[in-house]
Amino acid sequence: MLKNYLKIAWKVLLRRKFFTFISLFGISFTLMVLMVATSLFDHTFGPQMPERETDKLLFVNMVREQIQDGYNSSGPISYHFFDRNIRPLNTPETVSVNSMFFQVNSYINNRKLALDIKYTDREFWDILDFNFLEGNAFTQQDVKGANRVAVINENTREQYFGKAPAVGQYIVVDQVKYKVVGVVENVPVLRVQSYADVWVPVTLKSQEFNKPGLRGTYFATIKAKTPNDIPKIKAEYAAMMQEVERQQPQKGTKLFSFPDTFLESFARAFLGRDQETGLGMLYGILAGLTFLFMLLPTINLVNINISRIMERSSEIGVRKAFGATSSTIIGQFIVENIFLTLLGGLLGFLLSAGALWFINDSGIIVYADLDLNLRVFAIGLLLCLVFGLLSGVYPAYKMSRLHAVEALKGGSK
Amino acid sequence: MIRHLFKLIWNRKKSNFLLITEIFFCFLVLFGVLSFIVYNVRNYTKPLGFEHDNVWLLTMRPSTDSSALNHQNLEQVLQLVRTFPEVQQASLTSSNAPFAFSQMNNNLSYGNVKDVMADFYEVEDDFKEVMQLQVREGRWFGMQDNASHHAPIVINKALKQQLFGEEDALGKLIPVNDSTNYQVVGITEHFRAGSEFAADEPAFFTRLNLPRSPNSFWSEVLIRVKPGTGIAFEEKMVKQVAGIGKGWALEVTTLEKMRQNKAKLTMIPMIALGLVCAFLILNVALGLFGVLWYNINSRHGEIGLRRALGAASGQIYRQFIGEVLVLATFGLLLGVMFAVQLPLLQVFDVESIVYTVAILGAVVVIYLLTIVCAFYPSRQAAAIHPAIALHED
Repeated sequence: MLKNYLKIAWKVLLRRKFFTFISLFGISFTLMVLMVATSLFDHTFGPQMPERETDKLLFVNMVREQIQDGYNSSGPISYHFFDRNIRPLNTPETVSVNSMFFQVNSYINNRKLALDIKYTDREFWDILDFNFLEGNAFTQQDVKGANRVAVINENTREQYFGKAPAVGQYIVVDQVKYKVVGVVENVPVLRVQSYADVWVPVTLKSQEFNKPGLRGTYFATIKAKTPNDIPKIKAEYAAMMQEVERQQPQKGTKLFSFPDTFLESFARAFLGRDQETGLGMLYGILAGLTFLFMLLPTINLVNINISRIMERSSEIGVRKAFGATSSTIIGQFIVENIFLTLLGGLLGFLLSAGALWFINDSGIIVYADLDLNLRVFAIGLLLCLVFGLLSGVYPAYKMSRLHAVEALKGGSK
Repeated sequence: MIRHLFKLIWNRKKSNFLLITEIFFCFLVLFGVLSFIVYNVRNYTKPLGFEHDNVWLLTMRPSTDSSALNHQNLEQVLQLVRTFPEVQQASLTSSNAPFAFSQMNNNLSYGNVKDVMADFYEVEDDFKEVMQLQVREGRWFGMQDNASHHAPIVINKALKQQLFGEEDALGKLIPVNDSTNYQVVGITEHFRAGSEFAADEPAFFTRLNLPRSPNSFWSEVLIRVKPGTGIAFEEKMVKQVAGIGKGWALEVTTLEKMRQNKAKLTMIPMIALGLVCAFLILNVALGLFGVLWYNINSRHGEIGLRRALGAASGQIYRQFIGEVLVLATFGLLLGVMFAVQLPLLQVFDVESIVYTVAILGAVVVIYLLTIVCAFYPSRQAAAIHPAIALHED
């Protein structure tokens, strides 16, 4: 029976080519926009190089101090705070301290290179999975000895050395000479926790290590043994923060700092309030935007579907006269409509592949490498089905209520 | 005639309901996107109030905490920078240099006017020359301010309007806290340092006096260089500055580059929104065309009857176009009712003229759209021969 429905659907599509074109155009472009957005989202928050095990990773970006009269100050954490409070935590498998990235200049052959530099420890390389093109990360000895060694990204290598291998060579960044020990694939700038052009040992900034205070220029990255440990780490961290808050010299000071997953930390930065991450709100906003965006194409498709189905009222009349129930007819039209949206979805995939290629190529987002993977594909398929159902149910319902006699006569007013 | 058209639409309201909703939402989308674009374009056409060509920004991040030492080094750096023949002027600035991503603002109150939020910029006397500001009334900061009892400030026109209205602002005192007052010494024209798309917000400058603040440090210097000065000089300057500030991280960028980065922040959403909106409208237009075509084609009997009773083909044609316009009017009326709430309730701090232009623009576009979509099907309907049409039924 399903085969029959599909056959009919196909014939109907071929009969009114213009209507088919309008429907397919609407469906495929809508899905293209949604899929590009999904891909962007996945690229920013999904498990990608270098944060592949997102379910085991937590990030501490900020600490916010609230002094009694409502005065707030917030920023990245200090090394001192990390060393005293985060390093001794028991539950995590590994913790890493790394600085935020700073823009610095280098000059080569009368050309200026603006590079982003990040200071990291050895654990940073253990926790995250960078794709090394050459060489390796710097070692524990390099970090201990504050050696001037650097890991650079592909783009920096090309700027300095062209296509030639870079390991063992020297680069001068911000008037300091570093020996290159490794080259990694470019990390997109959206991955703020790990992004940089040049990574060097954190100990080169050791003069800052003893600076007291909670705020500084560092991030902490925490890796759990298993994903189930995440709530435990959060609990331990919260207990630790309470202790730190109690020890503050100024009474009534409130401290806010949380280990967050990638998405949580993003949500917190924009929507978070006190203990709340704002993740629910973020999902709400995203769902709302998607809904608003899909609203217009859906109404449009409903309109067109009604016209198309009206044309087939005599067919419906015959089927009803021979005893088909309303639900059978609704079923048939929904199947037809889903078939149509899937067809549009297929086109949409092709279009979005093109659009992503264009975005990557244009360099709007630094080092972006957007692609359609299985996750994006699955979400796209889901969107297709939702779209098909939304735009198919109402017209089918409307048609199924036609009286057989009226339908046979040729449509309704 | 028009009443008749309304009646026709009203009688078919159930089947026209979806079309009206579609036009309604289409209007809302257009209105939103147009408001955003009109707002930005309007800002873009206003003057910035300064010249950013050939201005560089040097950022210094000291490695030590000793503020006395840093201050001493900073004075040496400034002295050095000013001696280069390629440098015309240089001025220290707070971290919110033009086109920078950081912002500083403060509440000002004067008389009955309470809490005007204004951007404030801490700058040296040379800032006027570096950025080539135009002072409209009064004067810029100078040596004579060293002796002044109050902290001198220069305000922009927008701040003057909001704080003083038509009153003369020069010499007026604005209380900051119990012991200090700002005294207005000058008024500049526009100063929109945020970005080219920033609104003309209130702003004021305070005087930064380096020798008088012995333990303070400012990390940014704006430098106006001679036209044509390139990377070679930049490298030389950075090397020599690095010789003074040992272990400082230094960064030089041009305001032009910062402007481009800041512009991107507005341009990319604007282009993306524009594209999405264009697609939605194309989609709606195609849909509308299809539906109108179908609807008109299914009314052959009616057309035949009218023709047989003596209606000219032009009349039929006008009837269908008229019907579609009435349909659009229903959707638009509903939409405009929602849209006017924005300027009426002042939801966002945007001038009403922006909304007015956006509403008018959206209305015109939708009328055009519906006419274009109805054009072909109506012509087809008008060309029908009465005998054939009646025969079909």
